[in-house]
Amino acid sequence: MASTRDIRRRIKSVKNTRQITKAMELVAASKMKKAQQSALAGRPYAELMARMLAALADHVESSLHPFLATRAVKTRGIILITSDKGLCGPLNANVFKLVTDIKTPAKYAVIGRKGSQFIARTKRDLLADFSVSDRVAFSEVRVVAEFMMKQYLDGAVDTVEVIWPRFRNTLIQVPTALPLLPLTDLKAAVEGLHHDSGTVPVPAKAADSQMLFEPNPASVLDALLPLYINRQVYHQVLDSKASEHSARMVAMKTAKDNATKLLGDLTLEYNKARQAAITQEILEIAAAQFAAA
Amino acid sequence: MSLTLEIVTPEARVYSDTIDSVVIPTVEGEVGILPGHIPLLTQVADGELRVTKGGATHFLAVGGGFAEVAGDRVQVLAEHAITEEKIDEHAVEDALKRAEAQLRDAAGSDPAEFEHLQEMVRFAGVQLALKRRRR
Repeated sequence: MASTRDIRRRIKSVKNTRQITKAMELVAASKMKKAQQSALAGRPYAELMARMLAALADHVESSLHPFLATRAVKTRGIILITSDKGLCGPLNANVFKLVTDIKTPAKYAVIGRKGSQFIARTKRDLLADFSVSDRVAFSEVRVVAEFMMKQYLDGAVDTVEVIWPRFRNTLIQVPTALPLLPLTDLKAAVEGLHHDSGTVPVPAKAADSQMLFEPNPASVLDALLPLYINRQVYHQVLDSKASEHSARMVAMKTAKDNATKLLGDLTLEYNKARQAAITQEILEIAAAQFAAA
Repeated sequence: MSLTLEIVTPEARVYSDTIDSVVIPTVEGEVGILPGHIPLLTQVADGELRVTKGGATHFLAVGGGFAEVAGDRVQVLAEHAITEEKIDEHAVEDALKRAEAQLRDAAGSDPAEFEHLQEMVRFAGVQLALKRRRR
């Protein structure tokens, strides 16, 4: 049996661990709230964007814009969204599993340090890595989306897809892959947005059929589609932030609970060892008295 | 009859109210919208947006985006938007100076970053012009 001093030392170290994990849990919980709030703040924008795209969809030819036309896929372009820091349970590992499943040639643009480390380690084709702050600003994400759109237009990649841990609720984050470009089906994209914002699509009114476009449908499309991609990626980054903080909170809660349980076991063991030592001492004293008498 | 105006940015819903008329800065010049306007989808330019409600006129600075008019609803989708009262002149001036300095340093570097800085400078300029003219 371990000596009482060893057990005391272990108790102390487990107590420290519990304190740290508890603090991290609280921090993650408050960050999670903020992340969820900012994901919600983007919803009106998503809704409005969806309605405008729907209005446009009826008025344009798919050959009008390179984002709408499909082409033979030689190289896939993938935006991988991960966290900067670890200690968030299986969150990143689950996302990497999706990446490992990709067997066709692909190039990657990565948000988050964990992702770029993974891509470098597995010797995949890393185009660029970006990092975003904890409170993500739209402008930070724009850079990423615009970089990928440029790659797409230059022909370096033939699709743009996003892989990110989609936030469902605090306990469940689903690693998801979603194609962004080409927008083969504008209607599907619109429905996706409606699904994101949790609204029912507004049925097109008769008046929509005589909508006026200024300056003209083509140039509105030219400007609106990049904005749509930007918003989509922004939404996904916000989503993955919410996922990250929830996953971390859950992981830290588990760690804290485990530490508490371990502490109970160790305390029991310590008390047993202490009692055994006392009993031993009493026996020895009694034996010595007998011998003297 | 009145209009419902909604202005949203990716970060928040900036404005939502029932109004009498609105003047939107577009790439083709200013467009005044009164109730009963034909359905319209247009590109919004950097500039000031004038809202008239019950005789009083409110000003907002908007930067880049789209506006949709459908029936009695006007919806503006902007990259930036701020109401006049919320513009902090000193903060904007500082931001403008910072952005301009960065712009000088960044000349020839990452084009996306460069464009972003230019956009910041433009939007700051719009905000300042609006604030100063209203004094």
